[in-house]
Amino acid sequence: MSTAMAINFGYFVKESVVSFRRNWVMSLGAIITIYLSLLLVGVSLGSGMLLGQVIESFEDKVSVRLFLKDGAPAEQVDAMQAELLANEMVDTVVYTTKEQALEDFKKRLMQDSPEVIEQLASNPLPASLDIDLKDPRNVSTVVDQIKASENFIAVADRPDDPSKSLEYGQEVVEKLFTVTAIIRLVSIVFVAMLAVISLIFINNAIRIAIYARRKEIAIMRLVGASNWFIRTPFLLEGVLESLVGALLAIGTLSILYLYVLPKLSELMAFLPLTMSSGDAIQVSLVLMFAGIFMGAGGAMFAMRRYLRV
Amino acid sequence: MISMRNVSKIYVPNKPPALDECTVEIAQGEFVFLVGHSGSGKSTFIRLLLRELLPTKGQIVVAGQDLTKMKNWKVPFLRRNIGCVFQDFKLLPNKTTYENIAFALEVIGRSKHVIRTQVPEVLRLVGLEEKMESYPDELSGGEQQRVSIARAFVNRPPLLLADEPTGNLDPATSLGIMSLLNRINKTGTTVLVATHDREMVDSMRKRVIALEGGKVIRDQDRGVYGYGD
Repeated sequence: MSTAMAINFGYFVKESVVSFRRNWVMSLGAIITIYLSLLLVGVSLGSGMLLGQVIESFEDKVSVRLFLKDGAPAEQVDAMQAELLANEMVDTVVYTTKEQALEDFKKRLMQDSPEVIEQLASNPLPASLDIDLKDPRNVSTVVDQIKASENFIAVADRPDDPSKSLEYGQEVVEKLFTVTAIIRLVSIVFVAMLAVISLIFINNAIRIAIYARRKEIAIMRLVGASNWFIRTPFLLEGVLESLVGALLAIGTLSILYLYVLPKLSELMAFLPLTMSSGDAIQVSLVLMFAGIFMGAGGAMFAMRRYLRV
Repeated sequence: MISMRNVSKIYVPNKPPALDECTVEIAQGEFVFLVGHSGSGKSTFIRLLLRELLPTKGQIVVAGQDLTKMKNWKVPFLRRNIGCVFQDFKLLPNKTTYENIAFALEVIGRSKHVIRTQVPEVLRLVGLEEKMESYPDELSGGEQQRVSIARAFVNRPPLLLADEPTGNLDPATSLGIMSLLNRINKTGTTVLVATHDREMVDSMRKRVIALEGGKVIRDQDRGVYGYGD
């Protein structure tokens, strides 16, 4: 049995390669459409991963900062802090003193000219409570709760307009979420369309392969070749075509990953545009399996319609 | 070998049936002619035996298997037991004589060893050892039909069906083909030949089943083609 299987396998590979050569125009068409659709799948998967990282890095920065007025009574600040910690949506609360705030400011923006700060007669920066949330999407709820709190009005840096004493990145997060949702939707639609087109191309290539071999098929049926024996070369041809398309897509993406991505992240150093090689391999595997799936699917579809056994 | 009971085949409802209540028994090792005009139901008869068609009514048993109850996936295995020869040879033009015959074994998964021993053997039987490397278009009609008989017989099926095997051949060549089929019959293979070659049938003196309008009108041992036309 095993030798028979080995002979069969050689036969199938030979048959599908011969058939591939015989109608290379259709095969090439199928390969190119598979290549393009998988390339797009890869690009949207990869950029999705990158975007996810960017959003995460923004989310980390979305903490609510509550500025305290100079000389706010310590017990009231403590009360405010305790109230915040009691809130279920709040993760941590850190008290930053005026000196600490100045120090951070110097580190962040005035590294090149610390003497500018030295010129200041007094420290203009307020102390603050820095609040981290468990889920950044709850930011507006928490902010509303703080605004309604009596403790807040007592300690706020600007009692005349307490809401100005709160700083948070609500809009940034919301915009990012909208943008990613749109990008995701658009790429899903594109990928779906390309997948359908690829299936049609594979279907056509296999249909022509079946037509080109109709005499052989008739004789195979006559002498009693089993159905799977007649079908396997076509299935293999479809898989072969889409595998070539997948490998081309993976090749192109590797070039993007190895040469373009580092340049891009150099240009936009403020964004965390890096991808681990593990993630890259994962994307490649997804593409490979998607390719095999499409090839086999297209071939199966064609056989159901054009190869009655 | 073949048992047909009250078999009818209707292609188009409310039109005369292609086969009408046919009952035929053919024992193992027999040589049988199936004769009749064009449209008398000969081809339908053959196609029913190959289970290319299912009968509208009746029961067909071939090599011990009831074709009307057979599952689709089993059909290829039925066909491995039936050799088949046609008027138009059905050879692959891009394969040599040897390759054409080997193909029939290849596609049912026979090993290279089996192919290498069986193909030359069957070529000797049909007298074409010398033409092993020739392509079909380099062979005469009679030679091509021999290749097609060799392909049908290489797997040693117990039943050989021939649909107008001499339809494209001159009388002298036809005689050669018939004697080859006769030789194959002598090895124990049941042979059924559908034909309207009157001289051939009359000279062979084998069992004759005559069809007309889808009905069996005559079934005669050591018979002749018929009377009148």
